[in-house]
Amino acid sequence: MRINSNLAKVVMLTLSVSYSSLANAKLNIFACEPEYAALAKELAPDAKIYSATTAMQDPHQVQARPSLIAKMRQADLAICAGADLEVGWLPMLQMKSSNAKVRSTDQGLFFAAEHVNTLDKLESVDRSMGDVHAKGNPHLHFSPQRMLKVAEALTAKLISLDPASQEQYKAALSKFSDKWAQATSKWETKAAPLKGKKVIAYHSSFRYLFDWIGIEQVGDLEPKPGLPPSSSHLASLLKRAEAGDIMAIIVASYQSERGAEWLGERANLPVQILPMSVGGNDQSQDLFTLYDSAIDLLLQYQPR
Amino acid sequence: MRMTNFRVSHVAAACALISTSAFAENPTLTNPAISAVLDGYYQNTERPMAERVEGFGLGHTELALSANIDDMFYGKLTAVVEMHEGETELGIEEAFIQTLAMPGGFSIRAGRFLSDVGYLNNQHVHTDAFSDRPAVYRAFLGSHYFDDGVRLNYVAPTDLYWTMGVESFKGDSMRAAAGGAHEEHGGHDEHDEVHAERDYKDIGIYTAYTKIGGDIGHGSWQAGLSYMRNENGRMVEGEHEEHAEAEAGHEGHNHSATFTGENTYIADFVYKWAPDGNYKYQHLTISGEYFKVTDFAPIEEEHHEEHSAGSVDDMQGWYLSSVYQFSPNWSAGVRYGQTDVQELHGDHFHPEKLKEAEVSLAWHHSHFSTVRLQYTNQQGTNYFGIEDDNVITLQYVMTLGAHGAHQF
Repeated sequence: MRINSNLAKVVMLTLSVSYSSLANAKLNIFACEPEYAALAKELAPDAKIYSATTAMQDPHQVQARPSLIAKMRQADLAICAGADLEVGWLPMLQMKSSNAKVRSTDQGLFFAAEHVNTLDKLESVDRSMGDVHAKGNPHLHFSPQRMLKVAEALTAKLISLDPASQEQYKAALSKFSDKWAQATSKWETKAAPLKGKKVIAYHSSFRYLFDWIGIEQVGDLEPKPGLPPSSSHLASLLKRAEAGDIMAIIVASYQSERGAEWLGERANLPVQILPMSVGGNDQSQDLFTLYDSAIDLLLQYQPR
Repeated sequence: MRMTNFRVSHVAAACALISTSAFAENPTLTNPAISAVLDGYYQNTERPMAERVEGFGLGHTELALSANIDDMFYGKLTAVVEMHEGETELGIEEAFIQTLAMPGGFSIRAGRFLSDVGYLNNQHVHTDAFSDRPAVYRAFLGSHYFDDGVRLNYVAPTDLYWTMGVESFKGDSMRAAAGGAHEEHGGHDEHDEVHAERDYKDIGIYTAYTKIGGDIGHGSWQAGLSYMRNENGRMVEGEHEEHAEAEAGHEGHNHSATFTGENTYIADFVYKWAPDGNYKYQHLTISGEYFKVTDFAPIEEEHHEEHSAGSVDDMQGWYLSSVYQFSPNWSAGVRYGQTDVQELHGDHFHPEKLKEAEVSLAWHHSHFSTVRLQYTNQQGTNYFGIEDDNVITLQYVMTLGAHGAHQF
């Protein structure tokens, strides 16, 4: 009996030592998209952060490739947009990586969309509608208000995973929040002339950006979400463009410009590629410069 | 009346809830991911050892149900409906549970599932770029090898992907045929009695595999080595019962391996590339596998002093395939493979060879619908009577229901 209880003590001690040493180690963070890698960098600057995708890659269509399995295997926290954006690859990575830590949102899995109200939620989903998400549009990182909420929820998650560094996370959040609030009011002033402008865009990639600064997307290059632009659909957009009220055709950094250029030439409209995320163009180095760049690029079509 | 209306609206609300939740991120038991695959085709003739028959037919029509059972277990059930000579057969291809929360990168899968040997075997056939598996798979694994058993898998915590695992299966579909009921040797002689009751082992298959992989630039690669031990893989003399059946009816749908041996070694690789790593528009997949099957010759018995079977060459086969998706709507593939097998005729082996050169062109209206045209040229040497055959297949493969996540 004595031996047993001593053994139990040793085991307990070992467990608690290894647990606390884990807690103090820097977190290993797996971000599904570069915008969440950038947010993690603001909120957990000491963490080891890996982004599964770049701004040049469509996050709907990612291969559950070996390198991602290896990264997820080592992750303490996985941060993803959610709302089923990663449904074609994240479940496979979770299954293949055998990492219990990032299985569930109760532990080291974080879905940004679960912490905000997404736009365009659907009551029912049918494949004839195209590749739509019942849980709403997942490209929410261009909404400054929502990103602030995500930042707060992510900080709570970081603290729950690494309570020992609580103070650092709180300080990082407060620093980020202040900077973000200032930047938001600056962006809103700057983007004011864009209010009420109309664009044709590819997919609903910039749904939140347009919603925030008051741009109206009057046409989508995709006939249905997830389907490539077809010639008959482009012809109907050309007809729409003849009304003469459209400012530009907007394409995200991971989308093909072919359909947009066809339409732009015929409708005499400029085609603008906007960075979909951090790294989408040279200026977009973090979340702040990403917003700066997107707004500046849109403003060039606006007489000052 | 009011009561009924209320109930009806409740049911309608519940239905709406179910239809939206079919896309749920983490399916649960009350909310499982349900998907179906519809596969139909027309084919001018048959490929040997393959499942598709001549004329119109239904291919791999499947219905799958999967969900996290709780925080520890994931479960999946895949039922396959197959037509076989006018009969509709319902088969269970997958019915397994897998652990989700074992520590240290370990996981266990148990039940009926696809073995993780080779590259293609654990992929579902509806994700293939060709209508049938390469000949080497049809010859040595019965197109795709699934069975009842258990797997232990480990993923190393390294930046270079490194996984390894061991499996054990019942192995019924991998058994070399029983030598008994063979008519050629003149009915019930003593030879028959020796082999009539072949004593198969209950656990027939043991496998071990390892895979490594990573990224190079915008490309990704994976390479693997597998070993399969088949306790019941050695032939006994005078057996080609299974062969005769295979020749006549192309083996039907029993998914049995046509050629077996005690030891099978597999080397595989796959490389995928997309511009900027963006798989939305264009991407390339190159894959290849090599199989070597040894120790299939019957153990020498006293009444054959000059047995050629003892010094027979090993069976082997390989394929190389390249598929390019040049737009979201179109993809094209080429595949070439060779299979060298040995067929036992009485007391000696006949070498047989099959070469297959294939091209396929597929049209994808969306990620969920594919229409494929495939042409195969087969050059055979003593191979089921094939000398120079041309096979044309026109096929559709469509999936409905929940988004399935695909493997690399």
